[in-house]
Amino acid sequence: MLQHGDSFFPSGAVSFSWGIEALGADGKISKADDVARFVRQQLKGRWATSDRPVLCAAHAAGGDLDSVLTADRLMEANSLAAEQREGSKRMGAALLNIHARLETRGAKDYQARLRAGAAPGHVAAVQGFLWHALGLDADSACHVAAHGLAVNLLGAALRLGIIGHVDSQVILGNLHATIADILSVPPAPLHELHAYAPAADIAMMRHETQDSRLFYN
Amino acid sequence: MTKPAHARAPSSARVGIGGPVGAGKTALIERLLPLLAARGFSLAVVTNDLVTKEDAERLQRGGLIAPERVVGVEAGACPHTVIREDPTLNIEAADLLEAKFAPLDLIVIESGGDNLASTFSLDLVDYWLFVIDVAGGDDIPRKKGPGIVQADLLIINKVDLAPHVGVDVAAMQRDAEAVRGGKPVILTDCRAGIGLDQVVARLAHDVLMAE
Repeated sequence: MLQHGDSFFPSGAVSFSWGIEALGADGKISKADDVARFVRQQLKGRWATSDRPVLCAAHAAGGDLDSVLTADRLMEANSLAAEQREGSKRMGAALLNIHARLETRGAKDYQARLRAGAAPGHVAAVQGFLWHALGLDADSACHVAAHGLAVNLLGAALRLGIIGHVDSQVILGNLHATIADILSVPPAPLHELHAYAPAADIAMMRHETQDSRLFYN
Repeated sequence: MTKPAHARAPSSARVGIGGPVGAGKTALIERLLPLLAARGFSLAVVTNDLVTKEDAERLQRGGLIAPERVVGVEAGACPHTVIREDPTLNIEAADLLEAKFAPLDLIVIESGGDNLASTFSLDLVDYWLFVIDVAGGDDIPRKKGPGIVQADLLIINKVDLAPHVGVDVAAMQRDAEAVRGGKPVILTDCRAGIGLDQVVARLAHDVLMAE
């Protein structure tokens, strides 16, 4: 669990800001409170209601890749902004790539589906079945994913010069309660999959045509 | 964790090109592409633009290679990370190019710009070049950064500028060779084409096993 939740694990996450780069450039996110609010909303408004159900369904699939594919396709259908959708798939493909090389069970088979255009490969679906294969229970997998997203977003904000290293740890510490709150209730069923993070969606749509691009989204 | 499986299917060689911003990495690639293509090698390029898509678009629009054979990977403000600690997006990009344009002989992976401490993951590339230029100062080789010392091939570029910036190129080359333990150093002037045949010959011999 520590290995896969650590930012030292090569997951490709470093290239994604999920809207922070554009919101920072527009002055919409300019201080620590803004970052804290943004990350909390990403966790509650997107991850909890969209990524988490997909991750849990893929985890519950128990290695049945057809069931993983069902959850994966629902994520594809529910991802509105192109850079959100494609970013999630690029991260999923990167995670599959390293796990294929590490010979994690199912990674090569699902990667083959991606390469054949037969599966989208969203990161939540990929995390769910890979971490099941590695023996993480569903609750641990959710903790790893939520913590990983928070660290990813805070790292992007830090590298963009919006927050410092102390602020980032203060925010992360305060987010533990948010993550615990999210995980205190069962995940929503797949048929209730939804996300509400309009500021991030619009930022990523605008980011598509911006010249300055440190991040993919 | 199971035992890592580093081996991949027989495939193209992957060559990294690193070096400080402005040293001439993209210019070097622009000059190498036609020379390598003239020898019959099938090529593709992954760029790690730091802030914009300028390097990828420059190569795509330059007419030296089919635009679809060039892809950009954003570095997330961490150019070192994406070639060393977490090269997964670069590996995935190279794998996709390889699947799309097989058989490829060579995939060039251009870093977004580094300091002297940068190195490439050997899970990402088979061989890597580090490019510095005379205008960066003739003391650069003596600083013995990992890029200078460990790269398979060190390029000292823009030798035409040496008289204008007060640099003794011969001394700079001697200093570089002294810290590299016999690994090659090549002087280039990409604008005039000086040294490029040596670089191509070295790649052909060391990487592509063609000579």
